[in-house]
Amino acid sequence: MQKRGQRYFFLIMLPAFALLTLFIYYPIFQGAVIAFQRYTLFDLTSTPFIGLDNFKAIIRDINFPFFQILLNTVIWIGVSLVFQFVLGFALALLMRKPFRGRGLYSSLVFYPWALSGFAIGLVWAWVFNGQFGMINDILIRLGLIKMPIGFLSDPRYAMMSVLIANIWYGIPFFAIMLLAALQSVPEELMEAGKIDGAGPVRRLFSITIPYIKPTIISTTLLRTMWIMNFPDIIYAMTGGGPSNATNILATQMINKTLKFYDYGQGSAFGVIIMALLFSYAIFYLYLTSEKEELL
Amino acid sequence: MKLLRSLTKALLLAMFLVFALFPLFWILITSLKGGQEIYAFPVRYWPQTPTFDNYRYLFRISDFSIYFRNSLVVSLVASVGAMIISVFSGYALSRMRSRRPKFVLLLAMYFTQIIPTYMLMSPLFISLAKIGMTDSLIGITFAYVSMMIAFSTIMAKSFFDRIPVALEEAAMTEGCTRTQTIFRIILPLTLPGLAAIFSFAFVNIWNELFLAVMLLSSNHKMTVPVALNSFISKAGVNWGVLSAGIVVALLPTMIVFAFAQKFIIMGLTEGAVKG
Repeated sequence: MQKRGQRYFFLIMLPAFALLTLFIYYPIFQGAVIAFQRYTLFDLTSTPFIGLDNFKAIIRDINFPFFQILLNTVIWIGVSLVFQFVLGFALALLMRKPFRGRGLYSSLVFYPWALSGFAIGLVWAWVFNGQFGMINDILIRLGLIKMPIGFLSDPRYAMMSVLIANIWYGIPFFAIMLLAALQSVPEELMEAGKIDGAGPVRRLFSITIPYIKPTIISTTLLRTMWIMNFPDIIYAMTGGGPSNATNILATQMINKTLKFYDYGQGSAFGVIIMALLFSYAIFYLYLTSEKEELL
Repeated sequence: MKLLRSLTKALLLAMFLVFALFPLFWILITSLKGGQEIYAFPVRYWPQTPTFDNYRYLFRISDFSIYFRNSLVVSLVASVGAMIISVFSGYALSRMRSRRPKFVLLLAMYFTQIIPTYMLMSPLFISLAKIGMTDSLIGITFAYVSMMIAFSTIMAKSFFDRIPVALEEAAMTEGCTRTQTIFRIILPLTLPGLAAIFSFAFVNIWNELFLAVMLLSSNHKMTVPVALNSFISKAGVNWGVLSAGIVVALLPTMIVFAFAQKFIIMGLTEGAVKG
């Protein structure tokens, strides 16, 4: 009986793992192989193995300085994460107690979660447009600037602009996750804190935050990975430019593939990203040690 | 004091609302403006003569209705496919007793969660080219089903975990086969879970850009994001038509979110791996 049950389980899992193998595992493996080949769309008939040449080319690339791209990636992740978290947490705290129309309110403030990152990037590109953009218009009306600023064409402002768009996009995720966690904090605990004379700020730091700490840790760590892998907004707004000001690892991989048709170097970026992701995932598992909970 | 507190709170809530809504408001207004007004500076925040010209152009002159239909069919078929497949794999992973294979298989599922979809662009393109499946809506549907399987399975498993095994055992002693038990006992109890899996997959597939750009090339096979991408690659972006296209691209997932918000939030807090 036990054995038969086991066989049944494997049988009904077969479609899932067959598709995963064909469309995920195998391509990932193949991608890792391509990273060591000269593989461009222009010459698909000859794809010789060239050792580490793709990686060397990436690191020595003068037009796309590798360390600038790395630094941009760190800034992109760090700044997005801090603001998404703080603002998302603030929103969750504001929404914690029921108020009239909370259901409708949450639909309206959470909706960015469901939107296409690419389309949202285009919307923000229009908002930040250097000639006819709304932000320029508002700043001029307020008398803060005299001439429109090329937010997306000026390297000094480009990173800030894509970051604002990304922060906007990520607030709902944190708000949703933290709101759910906040609602699990027992009311008695808060009451006890009140009776002991703790003010709202004290209650936040001594009761609420310690209580939802596991959610805070796991959402931030997972979100880090997700932001690193989220090129859509940058791709739509600047494509990584101007002069690499907003280029991160993910956008550079896409540029190599879609613009330069260099699948070898694109895949080499993929291998670098995967290596970073893996080290990060191990670090994550180590920090949260969810290995047991997995089952 | 109390009044002041609730006023501050209301004000902050209002600020979050304005911040969340203004980009959407702005693109909607832009899409209703005529050619002259879009490029007027200082900006007009309300169109003087609202017009549907941009939408008319989008659906009559460009092939946007084809792209829209492609996206809709691919997203629906792929999310239903992913849902059906992961109901079974999720059930198996939930009910398996031997710990070691279960751990390995779950790890294999979680592993795919850290792989971003755009990572698959060139290898999938190369292998699908070999079997003549590039530039094919069927090819990309398969890719999308596979892209959603892991997350859907993890979600399905966590929903099934909450249903007591005793229920199935009772049904099976009465002569039901396992497959019958799944359909008669388990699925009816997890309908909200199924809704969560479906809406999640639909939103993710509808929004996917990079695989589609890589795999689909001919005009009548493009999905909506690919079409938007081709609008901006052409010299001189027409913001009127583009903004109408963006509005149309955003609507379906907004509608899904409006109806399925409860389930999506449940799925997010449950699976919590992909944001």
